[in-house]
This record gives sequence, C-alpha cells and structure tokens, in this order.
Amino acid sequence: MSDKQRIIDASVHMFFRKGGEIRDFMSEPYKSRGIPDVEMDWYGAPGGEYDADIVKRSEGGYPSSDPSLVSEHLFGEQGVDIAILHPMTRGNLPDRHLTNAVLSAHNKMLVERWLEKGNSHKKFRGTIRVNPEDPKAAIQEIERWKDHPYVVQVGVPLQSREPFGKPQFFPLWEAAANYGLPVAVHIETGTGVDFAPTPSGHPRTYPQYVTFMALNYLYHLMNMIAEGVFEALPNLKFVWADGGGDELTPFIWRMDTFGRPHLEQTPWAPKIPSAYLPGHVSFIYGKLDGPTSDKEEMVAPWTTLTGKENMFMYGSSYPHWNVSTPDDIQSGLSDEQRQKVLWKNAAELYKLELAAPVPS
Amino acid sequence: MATEERTETREYVVCKEEELPPGAMKLVPIGKYGVGVFNVNGAYHAITNFCPHEGGPLCKGRLGGQTEVDSEAPGGAVLTRVGEFIFCPWHQWGFELATGTTSVKPEWSIRTYPVKVVNGEVVVTR
Repeated sequence: MSDKQRIIDASVHMFFRKGGEIRDFMSEPYKSRGIPDVEMDWYGAPGGEYDADIVKRSEGGYPSSDPSLVSEHLFGEQGVDIAILHPMTRGNLPDRHLTNAVLSAHNKMLVERWLEKGNSHKKFRGTIRVNPEDPKAAIQEIERWKDHPYVVQVGVPLQSREPFGKPQFFPLWEAAANYGLPVAVHIETGTGVDFAPTPSGHPRTYPQYVTFMALNYLYHLMNMIAEGVFEALPNLKFVWADGGGDELTPFIWRMDTFGRPHLEQTPWAPKIPSAYLPGHVSFIYGKLDGPTSDKEEMVAPWTTLTGKENMFMYGSSYPHWNVSTPDDIQSGLSDEQRQKVLWKNAAELYKLELAAPVPS
Repeated sequence: MATEERTETREYVVCKEEELPPGAMKLVPIGKYGVGVFNVNGAYHAITNFCPHEGGPLCKGRLGGQTEVDSEAPGGAVLTRVGEFIFCPWHQWGFELATGTTSVKPEWSIRTYPVKVVNGEVVVTR
C-alpha cells in the first residue's frame, strides 16, 4: 500500500492559552464577572486530566491551546487529514446571560485563533458552542458564525436539566437543521448547575462517573426519538461526541420492543424507534468504546449491530488522558469498518472533501 | 366452550350470534394457538391468538384505538377508531383487527380469518 490512510479526527478538544485569558475575549458587563475555571470539576481523572506526554510537550502552555503545536501533533505525527475542534467550556452557569457571553468568547477565540490565523493548512474545522438553556440567544450565536467556511457544527453540553426532546429546545435544533449544521453533544469540562451524572445520583469516584456519564447520551437520544424530533426535522443530525455508542444496541432493542405502544402515546413519531437512527445519529468512537481487548473477535460483529459501523467516527479526545491515536481504535474492526470509522463517515457528515491520497 | 367441525372446508361454529355482542371476544381452539373471534361494532373479525413480536397471547390483550396527530385538539392528539385494535398483554404491540396490520412494523402483520353468520350462528373459516 503506497496510499496514505486518510484520517479525520472528529473530536479534538481545545482551550484558552491560560485560564484567565478568556477575559481578553469578553467585554463588560461580563468581562469582570465571576467565571468558574474550565477545570472546576468534581471528578478529576486520578492521573490528571490530560495526557502526560501532551502536557510535557505543550511547553508550559495549557494543553491544546496552541494551533501550531496541535497541528504538529495531529497532522504531523498522527497523519490526521482534518480535525474537528470542540471548545471545552465552563458549564451551565446559573446566569444564562453570562453563559452566553462565556460561550461567545470561546467561539471568538476558536474562529480567530484556530480557524483563521492558525489554519493556513486548512485542516481545522470548528464547533460553535451555544447555550441550549437560552435557545433564542443560541440561534443568534449560530447565525453569527454559520457562514464561516470552517465552521461545521454547533456544540452543546451533555449536561442538561431536561432531556433534549423537550419542546423548549426544538427551535434550536430546527435552526441547526435549517442551516445544515450537525449538533454535537459533548461532556462539558466545567461543572455547572446540573443534575447528578447518573440516574442513581452522584458516584464517589471518577471511574464510576466516567463509566456512567456517556449513558446520558442515550437518554437524550431516546427522548428525542420518542418526542418525534427527528420525524419533524428530517435534516437534523446529532453527534454524540464523547463515546458511548457501543451501548446503543441494547437500549434501542428495548425501545423497539415497546415500539407500537410508543406510537400509541406519541403519534408524532410513527416509525419504529430504530428507524430514526440512520442519517440522524453519529457517535464519536474512541478507545474506551466497544468490547474489552480479550473479546476482540466481538468488535466487528458488535460494530455491525444496529448499523453502528455507519454511525461511528474516530475522535481522539486530544489532549485528555484517554487520548486515542488512530492506531488505538482499529483492533478488531473489519477493513470496511476501519475506513468508515477513520474518515468516511465523518467526511460524509461534514461534507469534507479530502485531498487525493498522497503516495508515501 | 365446545365447537364442532361444520364441514370439510374447515368451518367452525363459534357460538350463537347473541353470545358475541359488540366489544366481546370468543377464543376458539383452532390450530396450535387458538383463534380469537371479535365483534367490533357489529363487524366480526378473527385473528390468531399469537403475537408475532415475542409470541404472547394476543387475543387476551386489551382493545384500543388509534392515536392520531391533531394539532387543534387539547394535547395535540385524538383517539380514533376505538375498539378496532388489539394490544398484546406482553409488550403492548397493537394490531388492527380487520386487517392484522401494525403500522410500525408491517412485516409483522398477523393472520386473519373470514367470519360469517349462518342461521344465527357465528362461523369462522380456517
């Protein structure tokens, strides 16, 4: 094989250079307000939030805060062709106006620093962060950035005080669908005014937290299916952007089992629930997902079930502790699945045209 | 309830007409699972007592209608065709008694049987 493997990294996290720098991108009356740190988080990973090697190589700056360093790591060393950036922010603050201002500051930094100045190679694409607790302001923020050539999606936090199928969110999803922007849902790094991360409350340790947290993607997804959001918005696309797709199959089995009574109470969603997955739903796929390494023979069949091979997109979660290189996620996938997960599914979703393979 | 085989064309007498009023069902021991014969607002329908979803005793379920979107109605939906559908007691899968179809998974439609009234008796043909 002389052709280089194409790779789209669909989940790269990025930050301000240092905590207080956000204020340089804000104006009063919000610039001088109390703003929690991006690391205000009850469940810090035991070995540190970020990959030790990336921290060391970030030359004293915050990890993933310098476009040229990240370019070197991802495009130079990992062979990534295109990276989708997600700004990591401060959580759902009690003052929704302040949340809106904080998110706007992140978007300004993303666009100016990463999608424009740092993007001479044209390999960065960006996620505009909006506040679902204020749909009107969120739509304004989308309209501010939607025509930027390197803005490819809208981002919201996984943490929410209502499931995303509820009607107050509908105008936001409708706007994203109308503008052709997928909505990425990602675990917010900062802790805001949120419900407990598991249905049984707050666990004590990080492993319990991180194991259960991704289940919340499925609660949102199943609620959206039942409420008829995808029936009403045929162009709406959701990206569950931090793993958990491996848990989709048993949940949608259960939902399909009650498929007909689901219709009895929700005639707004007349298809069997699993029929709303293709074309609407994607999951970022990292090394925490899928069967354990001693069950590698289960990876390909499990990825086939429920059509997950058409939903999974490789995402590194760079620079977090669980960073997955393209090599980390390939074991057990069939050749066809590997191509879909490494780049084809993302290229289709984000309408990315990759340059012809480069002979090596 | 006793049934008798009426002719060689496999017609079964279910009961007298007055024993199956609107809204009622009689289960007849035909085939492996039995057949339920229903009077839906004066029209007779018969279906196998077997749910294609997980094999539940379909005819023992509740009768219901069809929920339809109506944005003008309180709650945004109305219940129509009350009594024309049967819902399996196991997982509440619903089927139209007249046709055996279900709207969300048409390939799981169930078998129906012709029913007629002959000399005051309800007769199902297998």
